[in-house]
Amino acid sequence: MSSPPGSDALIEARSLTKRFDQLMAVDSVDFDVRRGEAFGFLGPNGAGKTSTMRMIGCTSPLTAGSLRVIGMDPVTQSSEIKARIGVVPQMDNLDIELTVRENLEMYARYFDVPRDIAGPRIDELIEFVQLTEKAKSKVEPLSGGMKRRLTIARALVNEPELLLLDEPTTGLDPQARHLVWDRLYRLKQRGVTLVITTHYMDEAEQLCDRLVVMDNAKIVTEGSPRDLIARHSTREVLELRLSDDERGRLKEWVDGISDRVEWLPDRVLLYTSSGDEALATIHERGIETETALVRRASLEDVFLTITGRSLVE
Amino acid sequence: MNAAKVVRRNVTVFWRAWRFSFFLSVLSPVMFLSAMGLGLGSMVSETDAFGGVDYVDFFATGMLAATCMQAGVFNATYPIMMKMMWQRNYEAMLASPLEVRDIFLGELASIGLMLAQVAVPFAGVMALFGVFDSPMAILAIPVAVLLGLACASVIMAFTATLQTDEAYTWLFRFVVTPLFLLSGTFFPIDELPLWGKVVAQATPLYHGVELVRQLAIYELEASALWHLGYLLVMLGIGTALGMRNLERRLVP
Repeated sequence: MSSPPGSDALIEARSLTKRFDQLMAVDSVDFDVRRGEAFGFLGPNGAGKTSTMRMIGCTSPLTAGSLRVIGMDPVTQSSEIKARIGVVPQMDNLDIELTVRENLEMYARYFDVPRDIAGPRIDELIEFVQLTEKAKSKVEPLSGGMKRRLTIARALVNEPELLLLDEPTTGLDPQARHLVWDRLYRLKQRGVTLVITTHYMDEAEQLCDRLVVMDNAKIVTEGSPRDLIARHSTREVLELRLSDDERGRLKEWVDGISDRVEWLPDRVLLYTSSGDEALATIHERGIETETALVRRASLEDVFLTITGRSLVE
Repeated sequence: MNAAKVVRRNVTVFWRAWRFSFFLSVLSPVMFLSAMGLGLGSMVSETDAFGGVDYVDFFATGMLAATCMQAGVFNATYPIMMKMMWQRNYEAMLASPLEVRDIFLGELASIGLMLAQVAVPFAGVMALFGVFDSPMAILAIPVAVLLGLACASVIMAFTATLQTDEAYTWLFRFVVTPLFLLSGTFFPIDELPLWGKVVAQATPLYHGVELVRQLAIYELEASALWHLGYLLVMLGIGTALGMRNLERRLVP
């Protein structure tokens, strides 16, 4: 499929819109995903991330606007597009009556992968997601992390050039998450384009070259994680926990020592170029802090700055 | 043919339990024909009402059709809902080049195979009970399967609209069971009051039962075409409606 000259966009969305009856799920968004990059949709639940993913994956027709995936139209060429992409859904939908290996064999058949190619490829995939010892096990008793890895292996059975991952690590424990991230990173190194939705800041920072932040069905900002932090936050953040009295005292003159302050119910966030200096100033003025933490600014801060709300409640 | 991949998947999953399933497919007609056909039938000396055949012949033919209807309906309820909502297998299939029509037709074909796996042993048991006298009787098997498929297609269309499985309790209690009892399986619908007869004649089971009996134990009449037409039209409508509803459900 030929893209327009000079463009290496694998996905092109223009005024992409999805409406369900009264609900506006995706409200006229524009974005491009380039070949070989890891692109993220970051936002809280209900922001429109999954609806966008489903339109890209050809399982939800668009209400308005235009969308090209690998140069094709998802409405009229859905089978052709689906043959060349892989999808890791938000909730695992494996065949729990079948074994790990059988799940992959069955899925390879859906994609018409010839038998002699499917066999070795499946062996490789099982090894890639570190399930070799479980190859003959049924799916049902596997842990959440193993099921997730199997779902990822299944999405790779057709050697897709584009992999859609809808909240790939939601519900996994930290160790399992890191294992999934590691595998995704390797895929990216092999040149697979990744599109990831997440509501985890650390996931977006770990995996994404570029991302858009979605809120209320719209894209509110876009850029690389570092870019967004530079544009919408300061370099460092001072997180303070203090008593109500001390909070009141801090409020009176805090403007002098920080670019911006967020008064959260349990914490106060001071955005500043130097957290240590700000903390020293606060202590000089005799304000007692219960805990004080200086950290690098994250996408969480970006989201808070833009929407005024924290991302994960 | 993408629908065949769905059949393949279902057969693979089903294959693990086939021995048990086959055992049930044989055991069930043996028990019914012994108890109702021979046991109850021995007390039925008045055979005029059954067109001059033994009660066991009358009952067995009705039961073949009724069993296929029940199996067709059942397989279009929980197993489909399971794959649609609970295990989300269809979502996985749709992420591959398979489309909604492949899923629907593949499921319907799988139900057809499953029905054959019920009807063939059933007819075998009937043969052992000496129900058949003409080779034409073998056509009763595809007719019973067609009846089951026609019912399955309509119920799949219904399942595609459901958000919970609560409606199934009502479906089995107030639709399937009355149909089973009152569509001429156990006794000729001529015994019903006029309104009952009219209602019975509108049901798919009545047409399936009549056609099975004409092929297996009575003479074939012109009305056979009407019965066959009824079942084919029902299957056509169920399929069109089912594909539409499943499309709306899975590709919103």
